[in-house]
Amino acid sequence: MSDIIKQQRDDALKEIATALSIAELEEIETRYLGRNKGLNELRRTVGSLPKEERPAFGARINDAVAELTSAIAVRRTALEEAALVHKLASEALDVTLPGRPSRVGRTHPLTQTTNDIKGVLSGMGYEFVDGPELEEYRYNFGKLNYPEDHPAMDEQNSFFVSDDLLLRTQTTTLQGRIMAQRRPPFRIATVGRCFRYEAIDATHHHTFHQVDVFMVDEKISMADLKGTLGAFARAMFGQETLVRFRPDFFPFVEPGVDYSIAWRGRWLELGGAGLIHPNILREHGIDTEKYSGFAFGLGIERVHMLRTGVDDLRLYLENDLRFLKQF
Amino acid sequence: MLVPLEWIQQYVAVPADTKEIAHRLTMGGLEVEETLDSEIGSVLDVYITPNRGDCLSMLGVAREIAALYDLPLTPPSPPESQQGGETATRTSVQIEAPDLCPRYAARLIRGVKIGDSPEWLQQRLIAAGQRPINNLVDVTNYVMLELGQPLHAFDFDTLAENRIVVRRANEGESLTTLDGEVRELTSEMLVIADALRPVALAGVMGGAETEVTEKTTNILLESAHFNPLSVRRTARTLGMRTEASYRFERVVDPEGVRRAVDRACELLALIGQPTALSGVVDSYPAPEAPRVISLRVRRTVDLLGIPDITAEVATDCLKRLGFGVVQEQGTLHVTVPASRPDLTLEEDLIEEVGRIYGYENIPETLPIGSTTRGGDSAEGTFLNEIRRILTAVGLQEVVSHSLTPPSIFDVTPHDPRRVAVRNALSYEINGLRRTHLPGLLQVATRNATRAGQNSLALFEVGRVWQNEYIAEMHTPVELLSVAGLLTGELEEVGWQRDRKPLLADFGAVRGIVERLLEGLQVKNYTLTPLGDKSEDYPQFHPGRTALIHLSDEYSPGVVGELHPRFAPQMELRNRIYLFEIPLDALGAVALSEKRYQASSRFPVAVRDLAPRVTRETTFAEIEAAVNSANVSNLAEWRLTDVYQGTPLPEGTKSLTLSFTFRSAEGTLTEAEIGAGMETLRASLIEKAQATFVA
Repeated sequence: MSDIIKQQRDDALKEIATALSIAELEEIETRYLGRNKGLNELRRTVGSLPKEERPAFGARINDAVAELTSAIAVRRTALEEAALVHKLASEALDVTLPGRPSRVGRTHPLTQTTNDIKGVLSGMGYEFVDGPELEEYRYNFGKLNYPEDHPAMDEQNSFFVSDDLLLRTQTTTLQGRIMAQRRPPFRIATVGRCFRYEAIDATHHHTFHQVDVFMVDEKISMADLKGTLGAFARAMFGQETLVRFRPDFFPFVEPGVDYSIAWRGRWLELGGAGLIHPNILREHGIDTEKYSGFAFGLGIERVHMLRTGVDDLRLYLENDLRFLKQF
Repeated sequence: MLVPLEWIQQYVAVPADTKEIAHRLTMGGLEVEETLDSEIGSVLDVYITPNRGDCLSMLGVAREIAALYDLPLTPPSPPESQQGGETATRTSVQIEAPDLCPRYAARLIRGVKIGDSPEWLQQRLIAAGQRPINNLVDVTNYVMLELGQPLHAFDFDTLAENRIVVRRANEGESLTTLDGEVRELTSEMLVIADALRPVALAGVMGGAETEVTEKTTNILLESAHFNPLSVRRTARTLGMRTEASYRFERVVDPEGVRRAVDRACELLALIGQPTALSGVVDSYPAPEAPRVISLRVRRTVDLLGIPDITAEVATDCLKRLGFGVVQEQGTLHVTVPASRPDLTLEEDLIEEVGRIYGYENIPETLPIGSTTRGGDSAEGTFLNEIRRILTAVGLQEVVSHSLTPPSIFDVTPHDPRRVAVRNALSYEINGLRRTHLPGLLQVATRNATRAGQNSLALFEVGRVWQNEYIAEMHTPVELLSVAGLLTGELEEVGWQRDRKPLLADFGAVRGIVERLLEGLQVKNYTLTPLGDKSEDYPQFHPGRTALIHLSDEYSPGVVGELHPRFAPQMELRNRIYLFEIPLDALGAVALSEKRYQASSRFPVAVRDLAPRVTRETTFAEIEAAVNSANVSNLAEWRLTDVYQGTPLPEGTKSLTLSFTFRSAEGTLTEAEIGAGMETLRASLIEKAQATFVA
């Protein structure tokens, strides 16, 4: 009788070991371990055995059932794993193919540079204020200490809309507007578009963008200007950057300088600067014995060109996507 | 200005290291733009800033070099002429306009022989950029270059009554200048006249009739000081710019007038011409008093921020520039020469001390003390928020021209709303943009034709201008505006062409407008069909354009398709969609503050309705019907489909509306939801004449 159990067990183990699919395995499981089937069917023959043999018989069936259940589980895991391996293999892609492109919107490089500059100057305590691009003549010239009809204006050929309104030639125009309203100390910056009558080439344009920065406080000196420019330039161009002054003339500063930075082994002119002209401070009732201030300006395009190697000013307003997408 | 070093070395013994001199001059304030070669050696091309008229001469540059190198300066010292003499017996100078001509000096030379100048003189002129003409003209030019004082030689025998009158021109007078042009004069112009007529434009150019010619034997040499503003205005009015006017505009030293004419006489004698008649007629009714400016050493240190500047250091710097200095305790009393009219304030002298001492000695310090809080402006912050939203939906920012030619958005080339530039020399920049749309269209066209890029999603934010009719006058107003353009494929196309690419359409551009308004938290806005406003928007497709109403106080924005009439000229393959919103309106309704709203914990119930309406029924009417039903617990609803065609009856369409119910208090019962749906159904029937198929 026990031979029958062994026979069934052996047959089942052989079939389990060679089952090739989960379905086949389940069929084997049903055949040998299903209710009233296989070993369970044998269980019913226990009644025909002598009483003393019954417990041993039952135990042997239980052992065989446990052994088969375990073998099925092991085989199931193996088959599932094999199926997964197969599925993964069939799903394999050429991952070296290019991806599906997503549409990316970018800001204009001038916006990016402007925001970099705003970040640095905001951190240094400068408050940004906006002024009009279509500006009154007096703010563009008279309030900036330009003598009436002075040759200095020859460098500022302007676009006029009326006798009194012109497109600002410099963002410095904001200084008069601010000083008419505020008392020192203040630190102000402005950024925006300026216009000058120029023939267009790789380094000149009738439309360009400028930052103007100025502060008034007690005992502000050229050394403070140099230190501020140094800190600003190092934030924009890196820790190794040096700043150098050269005398220059702008009617709204005295002393007036042109400043350059030493960057990657070259001196590069960046803009004009100086101490705010005492005539301007006095005109707004600021006591020049107590207060002094500095101002500096720089071109946004210039900063971007230096940092990225762009060599033609005209590219910024052309908006060729092949250019814009590089930034 | 071209400065031959060989010439400079006549006045200052500077070592001939061209590169070093160029660097020193540049760092001292006279920028050497380039170095050239000439027959007589190196020539510096120096840029002279408009305040330094005193440096528009060899002696002026030599004085700077002497100061920077701390070397002695040897100016030319011609024999000094005395007032009167034989000259005064033969001619006279009468200044009728002393405000415009503070000083006028004349000398006479008889029996000159016109010919070529000697080689050395010609070479110096050539190296300095002047063409030699004849010995007489060359000497006047030489002295102008040497001393900065323009001179003029008249053919003495052509002067009526052999005398000089300096006066304003009379209306209607004219003068043929040396260049052969007939100049109409006005009473604002200063002229040199003889007894009868103008013979020269003061400080600008001589007249043809009194010009020195080969036949000339007797000359009158003029050396004068003219008002800079007067010379500038005369030259500009007549469209002239000469070496003389350039210098007079930048102020010539009035004290150098007689020395210049004496120097010319000396040089003429040196090159073999007769000696000038004795004496000079020098009319200088009101000589300028020497200027004395006080300079406090303490303040010099404070403003330059260089602690080691002492009274001695400052005195040395100023003396090197040729200024007189008297020290009185901590203050220097500085006598400034008349050649430096740019120096009037203490700060001007502080700059002189600083640049001679050397700006490289300025240390770097940072301002200390209280300050304002740094940060971006409200406008800057708002524009950056708009940029953030629009780039997030895939639009590329462009920055285009404010100065533009008239466009299709101007009804006529002289649209009164367009702000014109009065002095534009070119059609391309003859006015200011009234809208960003022509710029966006131009960028799109350029990218299509140049780069074959026909799918574009662009935006621009920035200023625009338009004339507004205020108090019966066209007044230019500066505004902020945001605009966008969408054309071609909406998605970037790769190699996976698993479905037909979506092309930009009205829905796409409207979607962008909606994302922008949602992003800025604009709660109440409506988009209405263009309808009878289409005449005001001739650039837009009348049936595919909507006005964007944000607030009753501001003009609406617009979103729609470019009118097909204008599409061909844009050279784009696909339809073009545009939007533009004035930012004053947007700024007024946008909210920057965000408030949290709790999400309901209870389940939602979603139910659909499929009203059938006439084809003319707009979605706005459906929207109004749903909103006016005011159904409680309706959390949101949306349109999920629009269908027209078989089997629907002609002239009708069927919409599918999906309603989401949710309560914050509990799970809604089927009865509550059913009641809401019934209300919606009734409202659609009543307000939108909808029918429902059982």
